[in-house]
Amino acid sequence: MKPAPFAYERPRDLDAALSMLAASNGSAKIIAGGQSLGPMLNLRLVQPELIIDISGLTELKRADVSGGELVLGALVTHADIEDGRTADVTRGAMRAVAANIAYRAVRNRGTIGGSLSHADPAADWISALAALGARMTLRSCAGARTMTIEAFVVGALESALQAGEIVESIHVPTRSASAHWGYAKSCRKTGEFAHAIGAVLIDPAAATARVVIGAIDTAPIVLTDAAGLFGGRIAADYKERFDAGIADAVLAKAGIDDVVQRHIHVGVLKRAVQEAAA
Amino acid sequence: MTTIALNVNKQAVELSAEPRTCLADFVRDKLDLTGTHLGCEHGVCGACTVLLDGVPVRSCITYAVACEGADITTIEGLDEDEVTTELRAAFTREHALQCGYCTPGMLVSARDLVLRLPDADERRIRVGLSGNLCRCTGYVGIVRAVQSVIEARRARSIAPLTNGGRTGLGPAGSGRAAADRSEPQPARQSPVPARESIAPGSIADFTPATVLDQGFTLAHPPAKVFAMFDDVAGIAACLPGVSLTSPPRPERVEGLIRVRLGPIAASFEGAARVERDPATLSGRIVGIGTDQRSHSATQGEIRYCLLPLEGGAATAVELSIGYTLTGTLAQVGRPGLVRDLARRLVADFAANLDRHMSGVPSGPKTSAELSVWSIVSDVLRARIARVLGRRSGAG
Ligand SMILES: Cc1cc2nc3c(=O)[nH]c(=O)nc-3n(C[C@H](O)[C@H](O)[C@H](O)COP(=O)(O)OP(=O)(O)OC[C@H]3O[C@@H](n4cnc5c(N)ncnc54)[C@H](O)[C@@H]3O)c2cc1C
Ligand code: FES
Ligand code: FES
Repeated sequence: MKPAPFAYERPRDLDAALSMLAASNGSAKIIAGGQSLGPMLNLRLVQPELIIDISGLTELKRADVSGGELVLGALVTHADIEDGRTADVTRGAMRAVAANIAYRAVRNRGTIGGSLSHADPAADWISALAALGARMTLRSCAGARTMTIEAFVVGALESALQAGEIVESIHVPTRSASAHWGYAKSCRKTGEFAHAIGAVLIDPAAATARVVIGAIDTAPIVLTDAAGLFGGRIAADYKERFDAGIADAVLAKAGIDDVVQRHIHVGVLKRAVQEAAA
Repeated sequence: MTTIALNVNKQAVELSAEPRTCLADFVRDKLDLTGTHLGCEHGVCGACTVLLDGVPVRSCITYAVACEGADITTIEGLDEDEVTTELRAAFTREHALQCGYCTPGMLVSARDLVLRLPDADERRIRVGLSGNLCRCTGYVGIVRAVQSVIEARRARSIAPLTNGGRTGLGPAGSGRAAADRSEPQPARQSPVPARESIAPGSIADFTPATVLDQGFTLAHPPAKVFAMFDDVAGIAACLPGVSLTSPPRPERVEGLIRVRLGPIAASFEGAARVERDPATLSGRIVGIGTDQRSHSATQGEIRYCLLPLEGGAATAVELSIGYTLTGTLAQVGRPGLVRDLARRLVADFAANLDRHMSGVPSGPKTSAELSVWSIVSDVLRARIARVLGRRSGAG
């Protein structure tokens, strides 16, 4: 259970990291906290020739609020968010998600950018941040581009990252004062990857709802206009109007054939809705 | 080898080690600090938990080279530590260990809970220790021991650690390397693995460990599709990642399949045989292959069956993909992820096949967003149909 040999580079700044990545022609892997890549290296599921360690890059350790959104550098850890070392524009939503990822020893090194890049369907941030309407900035030697979380996650362990690109920052919009948040997941053991995730951001005052059904073995289902799950309109009584039958049909349409799986996902989503309404 | 300089239990250490050396192996093998235990070596069991810049981390999935300049504290470095001393006494009193394998990691995690969570009740302690597995005690004694230390300190009004014990942002232990030590090293050229050629001979039948059923439709008549399936080279060209290494014969097709699941990449080299039954418009491809890099082997089969649609103008292609993996790659214990990969590959295959048969050049793929509204109307229609059905059934 030891990794195959690899060469190691610790670039001095982001530009150096990007040039190394560009020069490697796909034979290099970025390492941030190593909490997903480490297990894969140890199991020899991944055998890169070169590891580029970005964990020391200060450019990726920012956390500041500007223009009504929180900008988090890719290297901000789950524990940084859990402990409130970063500003919060989500009124506690992100802190609660962070606190329930894996275990403290993993959260002390695992990063938000690494988690998104890894694009594990069962991971927390891809679902939670999609529900919060976050976007991310990717950078390569050629420049930067910005996209939504739902556009970034393409499938199981598949992201929109192109060769030579790294995740630079995550942009989280301010949660409005009237928006309700609910997040639920089902794990067989505390701290384990989830078997079902439900995330909802519902604003009865604005009559809007974003709903995410995650941990479905592929990219999460992101419903940016989810009024259909609540009898066609979002109002104060949305909890009573939640329509499990429609949620089940959405899952069936997304290709989840197993009735038991759908039942679990609908149940977890319902818990998220109830938490939002509580 | 790389020279790694860091501080272990307050002592400066400078040693050479391979970049792939994890922190646990570094302290155990190079410094004889064998109190740090290795269990799972992939982050799950917690036996290897140590302090890095003052906070707990997994030393099995943290590489020593990534901790350049940082402060490491192993269980040996906690002999004089106040909280650990209290915990040790409590562990002894409450019978919180038997074999002791989990204990060093357990103490490091417990110390962190005591310092951060002065109000923790039994539930929070259990959640906080959920990343440290113990095969002996059943946890009751461990939880009691930690709870007693937390309560005793609360009684003495000891304030929790501010900021979780961290000042800066980013992974614990990162950013401590002195700038002059980060000079680039030449990239290593990996040796080209020797190729074992596949022994010619018959490709045996097998019972697959995993079977995935997939299907797609093509706007071409079944007979035309069946003829297309006989064109092994043409089919191979439509299969994502497949290339042939010699001219194909039905009883033996030699080639290479490249698959990628996120960062995992494999290249299976092997051979297959093709069978077909014109009477039932069905067939089978059975193959074996090995990936030299990961020392993994696979047996696979694709069964297909063509069914007429739209009065024979179109074809439903039903695929049953079965495989058995052995070796390193068999450790991917997430069949769901493989299913998603298979779904994407089959979708690409279908699109390639369709383009190949229609002679259309490949265009950009467009992915449709799932809309709740179309589903709502489907469900409502079904519900209305059900209600009407029930009425008419009753009347
Ligand atoms: C025991 C255990 C339990 C876990 N449980 C959970 C859980 O319940 N929920 C959950 O969400 N996660 C869980 N995780 C995963 C954890 O959250 C990881 O921290 C996270 O997935 C990866 O972050 P990292 O910084 O460690 O990334 P790394 O492991 O360093 O990298 C992961 C991948 O992303 C790439 N990468 C990293 N950073 C960037 C970047 N900035 N730009 C481009 N590519 C990049 C790497 O090349 C690699 O392919 C668990 C991990 C362990 C070990
Ligand atoms: S050995 Fe590190 S967590 Fe199991
Ligand atoms: S005491 Fe034996 S594993 Fe915990």
